[in-house]
Amino acid sequence: MKKLVEEKGIKRAFKEVDVVTTGTFGAMCSSGAVINLGHSDPPIKIHRAWINDVEVSHPGAAVDLYIGATQMSETRPFEYGGGHVIEDLIRGKEVELRAIACGTACYPRTKLETVITKDDLNQFILLNFRNCYQRYVCATNSSDEILYTYMGKLLPRFGNATFSGAGELNPLMNDSDYETIGIGTRIFLGGTQGYVIGEGTQHDPGNLMGTIMVRGDCKKMNPEFIRGAAFAKYGTTLYVGIGIPIPILNEGLVKKVAIRDEDILVPIVDYGVPRRERPKLGKASYKELKSGKIVINDKTVKVSPLSSLEKARKIAETLKSWIEEGIFYLSAPVERLPLNTVFKPMKQSKDIVFVEALMRPAVTCREDEEIEDVAKKIVTYSVNHVVVVDVQGKLKGIVTSWDITRAVAENRKSLADIIVRKVITATPDEPVEAAARKMTQHNISALPVINRERKVLGIVASEDVAKLIGGR
Amino acid sequence: MVRVLLKFSKDITSEPITAQVIMKQEALINILTARIDQQGGEMLIEIPSAHAEKVIEAFRKKGVIVEPHKPVVVDKEDCINCGACFSLCPVNAIKFNEDFSVAFNDEKCLGSACRLCVDACPVRAIKVNE
Repeated sequence: MKKLVEEKGIKRAFKEVDVVTTGTFGAMCSSGAVINLGHSDPPIKIHRAWINDVEVSHPGAAVDLYIGATQMSETRPFEYGGGHVIEDLIRGKEVELRAIACGTACYPRTKLETVITKDDLNQFILLNFRNCYQRYVCATNSSDEILYTYMGKLLPRFGNATFSGAGELNPLMNDSDYETIGIGTRIFLGGTQGYVIGEGTQHDPGNLMGTIMVRGDCKKMNPEFIRGAAFAKYGTTLYVGIGIPIPILNEGLVKKVAIRDEDILVPIVDYGVPRRERPKLGKASYKELKSGKIVINDKTVKVSPLSSLEKARKIAETLKSWIEEGIFYLSAPVERLPLNTVFKPMKQSKDIVFVEALMRPAVTCREDEEIEDVAKKIVTYSVNHVVVVDVQGKLKGIVTSWDITRAVAENRKSLADIIVRKVITATPDEPVEAAARKMTQHNISALPVINRERKVLGIVASEDVAKLIGGR
Repeated sequence: MVRVLLKFSKDITSEPITAQVIMKQEALINILTARIDQQGGEMLIEIPSAHAEKVIEAFRKKGVIVEPHKPVVVDKEDCINCGACFSLCPVNAIKFNEDFSVAFNDEKCLGSACRLCVDACPVRAIKVNE
């Protein structure tokens, strides 16, 4: 269709084409499934439940459960989660259900353990509250460490980038005014027919970040188009295949479905900054992103899709064949999706605390000082860390009381030999949570606070952070 | 060129084994990756074919375990062709076919000596043969 419009024009394309099919297959974290178990004997009103050690929240009455895609297994966290439970059930596998309850006159049972398959469930309905983002940002990482994120593995110092979404093939991108996609629109969902049941959460069509809420019958789904997945050290999710037919009702729609990858731009965002507003480093089109290379700060960087473009095409083609074979009927929406909703940030009733507020003056020393003198400083100032600086006060390393103890035990004489030179640091404008995470990750108890020129401004210690976070 | 994986146990890390082998065999060995500390480690090297036999022999004599190079193994049934692995490959061994399915080049792949793509696969379809 896109080529047809380019070659023969809008009028001709409008005459020749009735429907354009679209598709996307990507990680959609705000997904899950509602199941109904039927009643046990004696009956139970479930308070908490687990399937294959994944907690399944309890949204309704006695035996209705919601399997959230990102909920992680308590025994295999980060590797197995709700998304995998949904896939295993769709594949017809047996899963282990455990539940506990308080016990009431009408629901006396307090414990339950059973093995079930999808055939044992009354309902097994995919109910996703935010799917199918119209477009999504491109992620990269300026920091010195590998970051494991929901945008995949990001190598340090702009070593790579990732993006998500199918670009010109994305369903919502082809009907950006939501003329034909609305409540009640029949769609391809996970290999079967499903429905749009409303706008998704965070629906922000004004910024080309529209989303939809969908439902479909998991019992009829095909695991080729719905897969549990795990992003290393981030967590689990569900890859969902969605295809939407766009009926070409007018010439305006011809124009909209003619959109090309080069026309769809997304910001390149630095995930090295752990804040809500992350720095934007420029823009890239889906054409560039799909080519595998983008330019960030004049440097060529390889970029990975996280969505499967191969599957997205297969979905659009499958949907096309369903329509041609007469097994899929297009439906008109019973109600339009809102076009004016915006995505507001969270209201936080407590102020965010920055490292600046917690840091103390650092006890410092120079590289050529004697170990004994550093030991005396540790005792005099009653600290565990001495920061090594040069003449200009720039960070050179760190020495801990443990390093000194070890130097004595091993009979080492020179301070230069025991300085830890690869220092994990904080900046004054960093949120305390980010600093706390660094300490936990690296199993250390303090971070020198430095400015852009690496000049030491102070030090922030885990006990101060613990007091603050614990005291809330 | 012959690619082999050298495994150093912690008992032999203090000796300059690689330098000794290079000097004695006069072979232009290319070190592709090296991850060794006091506790031992691995090194992936390329040896000119003419020298391969003697160099391998020399490393073995020094107590180094020499194994054939093994590229990563991709379970094509499991792979969803998302390409999350693509940008992580330092040697461009991962490419997209015309239909956007993902193709691995076993010749280029650094295998167990690299592993950058392994944990980036959301469906754990990439494995290393130890």
